[in-house]
Amino acid sequence: MPSLRSIRGRIKSVKNTRQITKAMEMVASAKMRKAQARVRDTRPYAEKIKELMIRLAAIESHRPNPFFQVRPVATVGIILVSTDRGLCGPINSNVFKMVNRFMADRPGVKFEFVVIGKKGQDFVRRSGLKAVGSISGVKDRGQIEEILPATQVAIEEFSDGRWDEAWIFYTEFVSTLSQKPRSEQLLPILPEMSENGAKKPSPFLGEYLYEPDTADILDVLIPRYFETLVFQRVMENFASEYSARMMAMRNATSNAKEVIYQMTLIYNKLRQAAITREISEIASGADAVQQG
Amino acid sequence: MAFMLSLLTQERVLVTEEVDFVKAKGVDGEFGVLTGHTPFITLLDPGELVVRKGETLYSYYVSGGVAEVLPKSMIVLANTVERAEEIDMQLAQTARKNAEEALSKPISELERRTYLLELKRENVRLSIAARRHSTRHPGQLSEE
Repeated sequence: MPSLRSIRGRIKSVKNTRQITKAMEMVASAKMRKAQARVRDTRPYAEKIKELMIRLAAIESHRPNPFFQVRPVATVGIILVSTDRGLCGPINSNVFKMVNRFMADRPGVKFEFVVIGKKGQDFVRRSGLKAVGSISGVKDRGQIEEILPATQVAIEEFSDGRWDEAWIFYTEFVSTLSQKPRSEQLLPILPEMSENGAKKPSPFLGEYLYEPDTADILDVLIPRYFETLVFQRVMENFASEYSARMMAMRNATSNAKEVIYQMTLIYNKLRQAAITREISEIASGADAVQQG
Repeated sequence: MAFMLSLLTQERVLVTEEVDFVKAKGVDGEFGVLTGHTPFITLLDPGELVVRKGETLYSYYVSGGVAEVLPKSMIVLANTVERAEEIDMQLAQTARKNAEEALSKPISELERRTYLLELKRENVRLSIAARRHSTRHPGQLSEE
């Protein structure tokens, strides 16, 4: 039988926990609203530049460009987007599971990682995988410059021929209640690229006029495409993180409420039993005195 | 006849709607776009981008980027964009003065080029802002 005092102590500690989870819920929900707006603002550019690149990849004369060329795959580079902090539901572990499955499906291929976020760094270290670059502490309202160190490493690995494909794994923001792990191939850029289906681009298979010329435009567009997509996916990840954290903390808060309710019930029952016992002891004592 | 214009930066959406005419500054000079334009792709120079929709003209300062023109659509992927009414004239004037002062001193070739570019940029921004503030009706713009 637990003592009254120990139950009182436990109720108090659960109440403290509830206060913390409640506060975290509110912080996450404020950040979530901003991050969701940011996802809405950054999606169109990323979508349009991806569609444009896919259109360009379909043009025969661009084929010699190494960023449009399919090579035999010996090494796959993976940009892994994760959160810096925990307590955000299953979103990190879902992405890691997807990475593991992806690797299991490609036996005989080497994998190298560029990691964004502390949780991903832990995962790569724990699993004994090879990271060629990693950044953490990216700000949710940050500028694109913050992720450039990661994208530059990745582009270099690809253009120097050490990576034959570049993929990004992240958590897509679907809604406050739903976030999906995603894998997306970024390089080489292929006309039929649709892994986890971006919309099919409007078909345009003719040639363009270029100012100044094709090479200059591709030199500008390709890094821009790569940076933008990584940046946008990082923003998706933030919106997912805050949404998942808000939901996780909301659940924790309501669980704490439930626990407090149950324990208060037990506490009151015990208290009542103790009082009843005391009264009956006093009463029987008084009886004994009167009869004697 | 209208066509679909998307004017975007990595961080925000400025225009996604049907418009009638766009004038922009490519690296090889200004160009105008109407529906049915030949497909082309160009890098953009810092300059003004004018959009006409019906009788109304909208003006933007674009710091550079890429434009893709198709017969029924145009996508401008800009580095940064300011709406004409967002341009802070005082800030631009200060920046211009700073650049002019820096240019009057003996400086390295690289610095000189940077400041010249800066000066050019501020001049464009100021002229866009000034046009907006003047009484002249912007509708006099011709469709070359």
